[in-house]
Amino acid sequence: MSVEQRVKEIIMDELGVEEAAVVPGASFINDLGADSLATVELVMKFEDEFDIKIEEEDAEKITTVGSAIEFIKKQLGE
Amino acid sequence: MRSFYIRDLKIEKPVVQGGMGVGVSLSRLAATVANEGGIGVIASVGAGLFEDDFKSDYQAANQRALRNEIRKAKSATKGVIGLNVMVALNDYKEIINTAVDENIDILFLGAGLPTDVPNEIGIERYKSSGVKVAPIVSSGLAAKIILRKWDRGFNMIPDAFVVEGPLAGGHLGYKKEDLFKEEFKLENLIPEVLAEIKPFAEKYGREIPLIAAGGIYTGEDIYNIQKLGVKAVQMGTRFVATNECDATDEFKNEYIKCTKEDIVIIQSPVGLPGRAINNQFLKEIEAGYAKKVTCPWLCLKSCAAEKAQYCIGQALANAKEGHLSEGFAFCGANAYRIDKIISVKELFAELEEGYDRAAANDAGSN
Repeated sequence: MSVEQRVKEIIMDELGVEEAAVVPGASFINDLGADSLATVELVMKFEDEFDIKIEEEDAEKITTVGSAIEFIKKQLGE
Repeated sequence: MRSFYIRDLKIEKPVVQGGMGVGVSLSRLAATVANEGGIGVIASVGAGLFEDDFKSDYQAANQRALRNEIRKAKSATKGVIGLNVMVALNDYKEIINTAVDENIDILFLGAGLPTDVPNEIGIERYKSSGVKVAPIVSSGLAAKIILRKWDRGFNMIPDAFVVEGPLAGGHLGYKKEDLFKEEFKLENLIPEVLAEIKPFAEKYGREIPLIAAGGIYTGEDIYNIQKLGVKAVQMGTRFVATNECDATDEFKNEYIKCTKEDIVIIQSPVGLPGRAINNQFLKEIEAGYAKKVTCPWLCLKSCAAEKAQYCIGQALANAKEGHLSEGFAFCGANAYRIDKIISVKELFAELEEGYDRAAANDAGSN
């Protein structure tokens, strides 16, 4: 599975949203119904899934589907 | 009532007096509670508002007032003294460090996620101080996030947790529409938080006691809630109605006078719902009347001071001092049951009696 697909799966699973809603521009809070706790949880899931560490200041910038994919790809050196 | 431990700290009675700001629980109440065997908790928020110079140097006034309160409490008791700190305060980090300087026994950290405490105190200093940390959470998820961040970041875990349900007083960590839903009832939150704590307690080979809060009123309540697996309770409202509570009689009288219908949920300018006793001041706010806001220093990160109808810190400080026309009292959902002011000693005796009665009934029915 590609990074994109794995990220999407986590988001769908965590936030209980349909795949169609998980577009790059979708904001976790504004479009996908997450609250601030859910976004922290989401970032922790990304850390687990990709075995990476996401610092607090980076986590704050991960607010959309696209920014999550981009950040994780960069971390993985893709 | 049985004693319990938070790490090496022995607490004779399973009762934590909840931190009540602004200025409602300071050194007098905290020391008295600690002398009775519970944990006495000073509320740090807005402590500096009662200093003469708070308008010119709020931060310095805050730290000074806090230091004095901790010293006064510590000199009046050999018992356990805690400090309640809102993570959302702009001087949160300074406050917890001042408290560690003053050898506070335990920090109760709410209104935000205290995920970075060892760093904020300094890892070596944190370890050598022996200070205990108890985050206050309103869900299993919040507990899980804090535990994971501590575990991953520091190879440590907090010493205890407080789960504060939606019947608590003051600011509440829930959406207004969720406050009365079944799933958010305290007795339903407790198993959720216990489940999140368990794997970490096992990994570290030690107990992480859970303290339950929000709507606990009698000794029977303490007995019954302990059956769900909590070690202790945190109570606020009952301690307001004591002689030793640091608020004025006018403030305490609000509790005596209020009826169930007077207890309302307000939307605080800091962006959270809160439970309070309705009065003329709140009715004017509700009607859209804006009070004069002079903000000497933005104390809360989340406060939209420029848009606020009133300053909640000042309103609560006014109420504490007895100026109810310029403020209002926060309270728990059971405040209407208060009908008299008693001593902390009498309160503990009453709780003990109710607890024993519930235990005896339980034994009799089995």
